Amino acid sequence: MNEEVEVEKSSAAESSDVLSPELLEALDGLRGEIRNRFPERRPAPVETIDWMGLVQRIQRQLSTLGMSERSGEVDEFGMDEIVLRRARPLLELLYEHYWRIELHGVDRIPDAGPCLLVANRSGLLPYDGLMVSHAIWRRRPQLRPRFMVADWLITLPFVQPYLARLGGVRACRENAERLIRSGESVLAFPEGVKGAAKVFRERYRLKRFGRGGVLRVALETRVPIIPIGIVGAEEAHPILFKWNAPARAVGLPFLPVTPTFPLFGPLGFFPLPTKWVIRIGEPISIDHLPPDAASDALLISRMNEQLRSEVQLLVDTGLSDRSSVWD
Amino acid sequence: MDRRRPFRLDPRVCFHTVDLTEPTADSRVAEVLAEERTEVVVHTAFRSEPTADLEMDHELETIGSLHVMNACSAAKVKRLIVTSSTMLYGPWPDNPNFLTERHPLRGHPAAHSVANRIQVELLLEKWRSRNPDTEVTVLRNCWIFGPTYTDHVTRYFARPLVAKLMGYDPLMQFVHEDDCMHALETATLHKHPGVFNVVGPGVLPLSTILRIAGKRILPTPPPILYRMANYPSKGQSGDAPEGFYDYLRYLWVADGQRGWDAFGEPVYTTREAWMSFVSSRRMRRYR
Repeated sequence: MNEEVEVEKSSAAESSDVLSPELLEALDGLRGEIRNRFPERRPAPVETIDWMGLVQRIQRQLSTLGMSERSGEVDEFGMDEIVLRRARPLLELLYEHYWRIELHGVDRIPDAGPCLLVANRSGLLPYDGLMVSHAIWRRRPQLRPRFMVADWLITLPFVQPYLARLGGVRACRENAERLIRSGESVLAFPEGVKGAAKVFRERYRLKRFGRGGVLRVALETRVPIIPIGIVGAEEAHPILFKWNAPARAVGLPFLPVTPTFPLFGPLGFFPLPTKWVIRIGEPISIDHLPPDAASDALLISRMNEQLRSEVQLLVDTGLSDRSSVWD
Repeated sequence: MDRRRPFRLDPRVCFHTVDLTEPTADSRVAEVLAEERTEVVVHTAFRSEPTADLEMDHELETIGSLHVMNACSAAKVKRLIVTSSTMLYGPWPDNPNFLTERHPLRGHPAAHSVANRIQVELLLEKWRSRNPDTEVTVLRNCWIFGPTYTDHVTRYFARPLVAKLMGYDPLMQFVHEDDCMHALETATLHKHPGVFNVVGPGVLPLSTILRIAGKRILPTPPPILYRMANYPSKGQSGDAPEGFYDYLRYLWVADGQRGWDAFGEPVYTTREAWMSFVSSRRMRRYR
């Protein structure tokens, strides 16, 4: 096609002195044809960058950064449903594949009404609280217990906002009672910091259960107490020994030395992939106790010890059932 | 009563010039109360914002309140209403999420104005036990936001670039000025003895609050912020910056149920109070 056109053109140039009107007309037609078939290649327009528009667009994007996906609505203890929903795949991953958690006895949780779950505490960051409440949520979607978090952790910068969004609540009696009165179940770790600070040698030996605050809450709000034994979490952060001098300087209760922690820096904080088993025990009913039992200190301490031994029993059962830490 | 006659005062209001910082202010107030045969005294002579003049703040807030209390017992008024603040509970890491009226007033060691007002409440407690015939109402309101109210807090939040403590995101709680005035009015007209938190329902994280207003946030590590803000803060409020910024660091949300039961449910939630403030200042940039 191109060659044809070339030939035509050259023949027209040669015979330019003998221009007959027919030929001119034909040439015009040919030019029109060429123009139609091969649209003229225009030079690309010089792109002027709209600097003001660009600046405005960047400003808009910056100022609305994180607005679109953020609900901004939190419940009265700071839990954000949207953050929680986004964290769920990660929690699921940890649950299914990292710690391969087994959950026993979820049917023992009563269907109606809130309850007070009591578990053994382990590890520095509250992975156990997150995992237990996630485990219960998977089986009972209407029930998602709020887990209690120790004071020093809930005031830790950067950690605190995320813990609150994911449903962590500072551990104190006022908060627990308020949550239960508003119809939510509460997961408490009465061992407190002492539990988190257990060294590897003392693992699964439960510490004193505070001063009976859990029982006082249960007596005050008349909800059943459900013991939970978590096996595996205490090996996720094996604390070899505690190093107190540098911790005091920065205001932490203790500085744990794990096989990985100060050695690999913050990466060492990552927990080990141990196998977890969560055992839920029979609910301990407090209905038979008189309403003023909360003022009976001896009764409280006796029941506290009984509760501790229940949790210890669940932990011991889990320990004797497993063959190794890893599976 | 005030030091100066307010601009555009309603002609039905009887105005008296009193300076509470004078040594004999108590007899002057008692004179006025007797002259007007007063039944209810609403005591709001507190600085809306702390000043660098620490001594004068103390004279006005603590000693001035003492003068008012003495005058009230001399004039045998039926009811005394004192405004206070939930800032008196103080921002502490070990606060429960909702502070009730029974919680001790711990304040903040760096905030002198808060310390003065705690003294006022303690004095008032003593005074109440000595004057059992007078009903005492204390209204503790949280930070007030609304179209017209201005103090150092609203001015701080009206800035386009707001410094925030890096790594901290406490839940905040505001009350709308109309709800605050409604509570004050109900307490004046009806009998509600006791201490009440006057707060809006609902809480919001600080970061969400700033994002709603479309503000630029400057997250700063606390030591750097405290060092940077040291001299401006001392010049403006007379306090170290911790006295203000710790209220943006830790939780000090109050439980308003008792106040809502007494004065009725507030019209504005925390979010609505904040939106009303933001829209009145036209701070949100619609693009």
